[in-house]
Amino acid sequence: MMPRVTTKCFGELDYSPEGVFDFPYGLPGFEAENAFVFIEQPSTHPLIFMQSLSRQDVCFVLLPVLAAEQAYQLCLSDEDLLALHFPAGSQPQMGKEILCAVMVCAPDGQRPQPTANLFAPVVVNIRQRIGIQAIQTRYSPRHPLVSNHRPAEVAAC
Amino acid sequence: MLVMRRRAGESFLIGESIEIEVLEIFGTRVKLGIVAPDSVLIQRKEIKIARDENLKAARSVRQPNISSLVNRVGPAESVKKLTDIPILTTKCT
Repeated sequence: MMPRVTTKCFGELDYSPEGVFDFPYGLPGFEAENAFVFIEQPSTHPLIFMQSLSRQDVCFVLLPVLAAEQAYQLCLSDEDLLALHFPAGSQPQMGKEILCAVMVCAPDGQRPQPTANLFAPVVVNIRQRIGIQAIQTRYSPRHPLVSNHRPAEVAAC
Repeated sequence: MLVMRRRAGESFLIGESIEIEVLEIFGTRVKLGIVAPDSVLIQRKEIKIARDENLKAARSVRQPNISSLVNRVGPAESVKKLTDIPILTTKCT
């Protein structure tokens, strides 16, 4: 029988162990959350949901980075590469070897429009299913998502 | 902002109980040593920024908010289709 996760937004979902991503260091603010699954729902492409397996209330909404900023350039340090099990100095290919996605913050009283965190993208090694948040100091943690931004085709993450 | 020039091996004090020493300088990187009371939280600034944003982002995830986000970015192709990444799919909602 497949294991089951109780999600924040979608009730209970069966998942396979091959769909679990290991975040060995957790995430800043969520250091104890080491296992996540990614979820899509057909009506909200290209959003992806990153749900913690150990805490139902910990779920992030992510957007492939190029959907938030078409000219985004990811720069991984040797420490980041080693944490992701890539050789130091390598440049893994987005969409093929790594998924790079940014957390989206929905609007609230203080923030009138949604923002994307380009400063700390979630980067995962697709094959080995290991993830980190890779700090990119050149980019803003509160990049506004502009409403007329409608790419005809979102390049592969 | 107060600006101070220091060489490797020199240090400066903040108040009575915090000392910051420049240990080594190599190219664009500096290695610092910090002596401070246990009660003082010392953290990399970028980790603090990431933590604050992560906490806020996690709190903002609620079903009514999600559809408003789609209006901003979508509709677009499924990420699962574009990559080989294993992603669960919910039933239509």
